Amino acid sequence: MTGPLEGVRVLDLTQGVTGPYATKLFSDYGAEVTKIERPGRGDASRRLGPYPNDMPHIETSGMFLHLNTGKLSVTLDLGTATGRELLLRLAADADIIVESFRPGTLERLGIGPDVLAEASPAAALVRISSFGQEGPYRDFEADDMLLYASGGVMQVTGDPDREPIKLGLYTPLFLAGVVSAGMMMGAMRSSMRDGEGERVEISINEILTASMDRGGPNIMAYQYSGALMIERIKNVVYSGLPSGVYPCADGYVQVATQPAWFPRMCRAMGREDLIEDERFVANVYNPDFLPEVEAIFYPWLLSHTKQEVMELAQAEGWPVCAINTVEDAYRDPAYRARDFFRTIDHPVAGSYEYVGLPVRFKSTPGEMRCAPLLGEHTFEVLTERLGHTPEEVAILGQRGVI
Amino acid sequence: MADPAKPLDGIRVLAQGIVWAGPFSTMILADLGAEVIEIESIQHLNPTRTNFRHIPDALLEGRAGASYLNRDGSEGFWNRQAWFNYAKRGCKSVTLDLQSERGHELFLDLIRQSDAYIENNAADVVDNLGIGYEVLHEVNPELIMVRFPGFGIEGPYSDFKGYGANMEAVAGHTGIRGYEGSDPSDTPASLHGDPTAGAQVAFALQAALFSRDRTGEGQLVEISQVESVASHIGHAFMDYAMNGRVQGHWGNRHPSMAPYGAFPCAGEDRWITIAIPSDEAFAALCAEMGRPELAGDERFADAAVRYRNTDAINAEVAAWTPAFEDHDLMVRLQAAGVPAIATVHHEEITTNPHHVARGYFEEITHPEAGTHLYPGPMARFERTPLLPARPAPTLGRHNEEILRGVLGVSAEAYQQLLDDEVIGSVYLEDATA
Repeated sequence: MTGPLEGVRVLDLTQGVTGPYATKLFSDYGAEVTKIERPGRGDASRRLGPYPNDMPHIETSGMFLHLNTGKLSVTLDLGTATGRELLLRLAADADIIVESFRPGTLERLGIGPDVLAEASPAAALVRISSFGQEGPYRDFEADDMLLYASGGVMQVTGDPDREPIKLGLYTPLFLAGVVSAGMMMGAMRSSMRDGEGERVEISINEILTASMDRGGPNIMAYQYSGALMIERIKNVVYSGLPSGVYPCADGYVQVATQPAWFPRMCRAMGREDLIEDERFVANVYNPDFLPEVEAIFYPWLLSHTKQEVMELAQAEGWPVCAINTVEDAYRDPAYRARDFFRTIDHPVAGSYEYVGLPVRFKSTPGEMRCAPLLGEHTFEVLTERLGHTPEEVAILGQRGVI
Repeated sequence: MADPAKPLDGIRVLAQGIVWAGPFSTMILADLGAEVIEIESIQHLNPTRTNFRHIPDALLEGRAGASYLNRDGSEGFWNRQAWFNYAKRGCKSVTLDLQSERGHELFLDLIRQSDAYIENNAADVVDNLGIGYEVLHEVNPELIMVRFPGFGIEGPYSDFKGYGANMEAVAGHTGIRGYEGSDPSDTPASLHGDPTAGAQVAFALQAALFSRDRTGEGQLVEISQVESVASHIGHAFMDYAMNGRVQGHWGNRHPSMAPYGAFPCAGEDRWITIAIPSDEAFAALCAEMGRPELAGDERFADAAVRYRNTDAINAEVAAWTPAFEDHDLMVRLQAAGVPAIATVHHEEITTNPHHVARGYFEEITHPEAGTHLYPGPMARFERTPLLPARPAPTLGRHNEEILRGVLGVSAEAYQQLLDDEVIGSVYLEDATA
């Protein structure tokens, strides 16, 4: 189905998670994304797994398959003069060129920003790296946990009596990918408007500093009042009503209760008799009263499943949600009713349900297509787009350029 | 010479973007140059500013109170709120009582002259106010409306209520984060869903604009925060699809690296994170530790056995790091080829040498809150710089500019709107959340 970015051409020189997630959004929503991979090895995410039956294979890494839906894979050895020349010819009709090599790599290869701009004056050039192209940490190595640490997220996350903790595996890189996709859109817009390519530099460190859950507000709160609004804290009870994580018959639920919502809680539990009970009403703000409320709450929780608790609570407007495992989420009735998952049949990995599209454009929905085999589109792109003969492509293959 | 046009110059976006997903989306759009007009009212408190007409002392003295300038809860405190003033920089504020006939009409007049309307109110709010997509599309067929309530606008959960923690729980993220071997009650409170959804909005709106510029047609765009989060743990879903494996709490563990984790440094609550991706980096770490024999120890000799003995090698590292200052150790290890980063404290981040060298923090003077250093835009545009940013708006700050200047409301009619409390710049005494 047609996506909103139909007609956009992206030359994708990114690897790993952040850049590929940004270009996945472009690809799923209609852009033609030409992904340049290193002959033989390909993108690093081909080695991240998970693999079917834990059997490593360059074509079956779940992370790669998820991140590269619908892209074209062209292998080019950028260490060769011919490989670089082919890259510059591919750059010529791109709307956006995006790269995530270590800072300085493009320059060292002789295809720095000025060379790319000469080959493709109107294309936006977006450069993504951990710490940016300049500054004392420019060459520091980092992965997702280390970027959580540098962004200030880790220091405020976790138990104050234990070590700081990261959030989900790789998630900061995904977030940086979405932010980068928005910046790529902006860069493309001003480049097209002005007929002159924009150059954009993105530091994942700066994205996390500004973005992770209330991190920016926390930095500002400290300047406004001399204190942080978010720190590593134990579960803090603000009122006499339950909030936080609670057990139930088959797992846990996440509970959020404002004092004014006591009647909702009573109705959900079928305890309308407590709504007017003065002992409770007088103590909804009193943290010391929580055990009395929990004495009623626990038995009810433990006699229901997390899904039942959620549905009964939400029917009364009380924000309680099941804490799902990935398996629960796969079976979740709302995901299913919304037709969220997409089955994609991959020639080597097989047929699996993939996590679906995060944005629903009602008129131009776009679609997820299979991720490419390594170099699957090299022949097609070199012959159809660059006008090489099949014989010439064969020679480039024999010389190891592609 | 005038500043060069920013990427979204000339694009007008009406916004009701609340909590953190909403403000994060408008921050990106305003940084990119869009004219973002926050539609507020003096009847309803904007939850990004405050949930209380008068802040209770207990709240002001507690953690949430830290976001108000000098913990000062006197009148107008909603204009001196760090959270709002950070994320709404560059935005404008117009107050309209959307439940009044005149306010409703003015909103539709603004819709006629806008490119987009984005909102993350509870899913039923816009229909209750008579400003659902069908109504707005009729008024302006080129309008793009982006709706991003927590659970989407369709499906069995669309009426569900929740904060970020609730949505992450449903999405499956809560189940794979948190300390290893713990139950989710130890799960820390920092969340991923809000910024994720906010950033998706900034991308999606621009993609829909691109499409509209070619077809002349606007459209409705829907984002579920739950689905946004799920998209970011796609690898865990793939593991279940491929292997039937249900991933549990990872803590600070990595799927293949060891040693790996946060290790204590000298001083109170000082930590360094270390990630060892290769035998070479491991040998370099052992050399820095003065323990070269560890690299040859049969428990740690290759990646697989090292991973199997993660606890043992992590314990060796944790016994070594406390002798060092966190920043010094980071610089030393990075120079030796060992990926290591000190955890950054928000109290010190504005003087972090890397941020200072890059000029990342931006000084903004707010008329009521004063001058502070704000995190800058999340990208540097060389030809059309995103700086300087304007300060966040005080409540109703742009009523006159927008209603008189853009909609052409007469001076008399404007005064009448003030008198009738359709607009204003101070919350009414009985304003509610």
